[in-house]
Amino acid sequence: MPDPQSSVYDSRKARVAVVAAGLVSPLGMGMEETAASLRIGRDCVTTVAPERFSVEQCRCKTAGQVPHESLQGREFGHRAKRLHPAAKMMIAALREAREQAPEFKPELTVVGTTSGGMTFGEEYYRSLHARRTMRRAASLIANYTPQKAVVDALEALGLSAPCQVIANACASGTNAIGHAFECVRSGRYQRVLTGGYDAISELVFVGFDSLQASTPDKCRPFDRGRTGMVLGEGAAVLALENLESAEARGAKILAEVAGYGLSTDNHHLTQPDPSGSGARRAMEHALQSAALSPGEIDYINAHGTATPFNDAAEGKAIVELFGRVPVSSTKGMMGHSLGAAGAIEAVITILALRDQILPPNINFRESDPALDLDIVANDSRPAPIRTVLSNSFGFGGTNASVILRSLAA
Amino acid sequence: MSLRIGGMGWVTPLGSGVSEVWQRLLDGAVAQAETISSPLGKRSFPIFRVPADATSRAPAHPRLRRSSAISRFAAVAGLAALEDAQVKLDAHAAERTAIVFAISNGGVVYTKRFYHEVVESGAQTASPLLFPETVFNAPASHLAAILGITGASYTLVGDGAVGLLAMKMAEDLLQNPTLDRCLVVGAEEADWLLCDAYHRWRLLRAAPPIECFQPHPRGMILSEGAGAVLIEPKARASARRSEDPPPARTIQIESIDAGGNFTRQSDAAACMTKIFGRLGPGDDDLIIASANGTFIDQAERSAALHCGGDALLYAPKAVLGESVGTSSIWQVICGAQALMTGRLPLTLYTSHGISTRPSARDYNVPFRRAIVSACGMNQQAAGLSLVIRD
Repeated sequence: MPDPQSSVYDSRKARVAVVAAGLVSPLGMGMEETAASLRIGRDCVTTVAPERFSVEQCRCKTAGQVPHESLQGREFGHRAKRLHPAAKMMIAALREAREQAPEFKPELTVVGTTSGGMTFGEEYYRSLHARRTMRRAASLIANYTPQKAVVDALEALGLSAPCQVIANACASGTNAIGHAFECVRSGRYQRVLTGGYDAISELVFVGFDSLQASTPDKCRPFDRGRTGMVLGEGAAVLALENLESAEARGAKILAEVAGYGLSTDNHHLTQPDPSGSGARRAMEHALQSAALSPGEIDYINAHGTATPFNDAAEGKAIVELFGRVPVSSTKGMMGHSLGAAGAIEAVITILALRDQILPPNINFRESDPALDLDIVANDSRPAPIRTVLSNSFGFGGTNASVILRSLAA
Repeated sequence: MSLRIGGMGWVTPLGSGVSEVWQRLLDGAVAQAETISSPLGKRSFPIFRVPADATSRAPAHPRLRRSSAISRFAAVAGLAALEDAQVKLDAHAAERTAIVFAISNGGVVYTKRFYHEVVESGAQTASPLLFPETVFNAPASHLAAILGITGASYTLVGDGAVGLLAMKMAEDLLQNPTLDRCLVVGAEEADWLLCDAYHRWRLLRAAPPIECFQPHPRGMILSEGAGAVLIEPKARASARRSEDPPPARTIQIESIDAGGNFTRQSDAAACMTKIFGRLGPGDDDLIIASANGTFIDQAERSAALHCGGDALLYAPKAVLGESVGTSSIWQVICGAQALMTGRLPLTLYTSHGISTRPSARDYNVPFRRAIVSACGMNQQAAGLSLVIRD
């Protein structure tokens, strides 16, 4: 374990505040609905709606879904028909954040995703395959691209800032927050908007099913009998600002982003190094970046996909580095929202800090004897917490960890 | 922080190798368009492909065994940039090296194959071997594995401006003292599906050539390949080269403007004018334009007329084609080569030059600065300026 005092970031570096946040996920529209779902450990994973695509030939039939009816309000304006559901989720999340901090004007936007508006690409390809006339082709293609949902959201809320869209597979959201954090921390930027989004698509659903990474059972992170993940979807945004400047203008501060670490694991394109070394290095770097020791982490929101390989590697790294610290994965409740996951889970950790409640790891039946973890099993748990760590790991060996801290006394 | 370009690598439809491709451009060579047909329709499209011998130096690495062309292009360009910079990546150096990958369409060949099987025969036939290669960051992952990079690796997606956004991200990353250098790589592979999509988007031309800056845009032709630029802080590069004589001249990154987004195509000119205004092209400068025969040309033309003084203008896409995610990295390479060699190729097929001077072969005045202008086809725009230092 590196010495936290040897942090490359000295005390002269800027501290970074989260001054607003917003999210849309299967757990609810907005922070309050989400907090209520977390408290009761609501299982929001349901059978994939037939109007989306057929899952008849898939092993897995379920996903955490944001009902499309909840994305049909007037707030999406006259362009609603051409907007991709992912763009609508980004707009709703950004609107919630803007209501908390209307004066926040970002200099840069850094957002994670894995598949952008993939369902529009699928609609285009299916029409092409069926040799159907495609009157909407130009619109489908223009609105399919990953940056479009972000640009649409900025435009809908009257904002303008350059967009860096990170596609680091399932680590994208945490990588986006981490890079945004480093941009503010370096002093080069005062305000950066960050987050992540993804919408369920047939291609991705079938892809994980083909790898047998998704489960026909319940998603049971860290359980001895875990058999895989279920997909989810959603969007989350966080407004990051130089802490000093936020305090000077009297902004309400939701949390501090204290550290960020990342690593690349070259073991395999889709599987982590079984030793957990990639995950461990990301967490070590985050601790070093925050100048914290492992004992100062009060809770870990794990990547916890419930695949045998991920949970074994991540669990091993957590045990070796932290010993027994409360751990939960919230993916059992809402599924794995890929590029949005890191951002949604960062907002969930902010809610945990605010409410002093550890979110539950639902569907948990039996401890894995290979992992001596303190799982927050099935029910949320009140706990005094000040500093939390959130993990995201993805295909391509991308590993990212972010540390958030409460500024409340 | 002063950043310099330490090395470059280039894989294009005109072959591979920075010096070789640049010489072909100076000689007035033109990439030969192939015709490809859509198996799902009656249409055929022109396309600029990378010749097979351009990737003959791809490493024999297990990660490239099943990968698509995009990963091989990236590997060849990335390794060439490191070799050009004389950087050898041992474990320590690899940990202190970041990759920022720029991409737009990504691994479209495998993505199409994977989804085609699903559409044609159902989900049960979906290939678990193909799916991982459809992920946007698969090429970056392969490159990291080949180079042994274990630290930061980011894949950025966007339109034709994404290469400059990647350069901006690299500049920001290098504020972190744990990093010594950043390898910025752009890569794309072309396919009939992309041609069909851009055709339906009314941006594709039915046959060569690409005619830039025409009063009425006639469309672009897609191409493929990769570009890689190794960026390092000047101080850290000097320390690395302490045992070697320093290079006589270096290309420094003066400024990177992450630009902004434009809502409609008609707003692109205003967006580009703001970027040009901030970068401030002068009379002795070059502008390496992203003009590709579409609405972009008029946006750049307008911005250059407004802010460009008497700058020389060069549009490499006229002969290299529109490689989208890698295109602005190619423009950076063109800018650096023009500054280093003091020569600039002629922009071919341009009868309606803008009022700034048309670029000319063997232009003898040493260039002071090169502005790279990137206006994407889907709402993103950015700019960058390079200077040469003795």
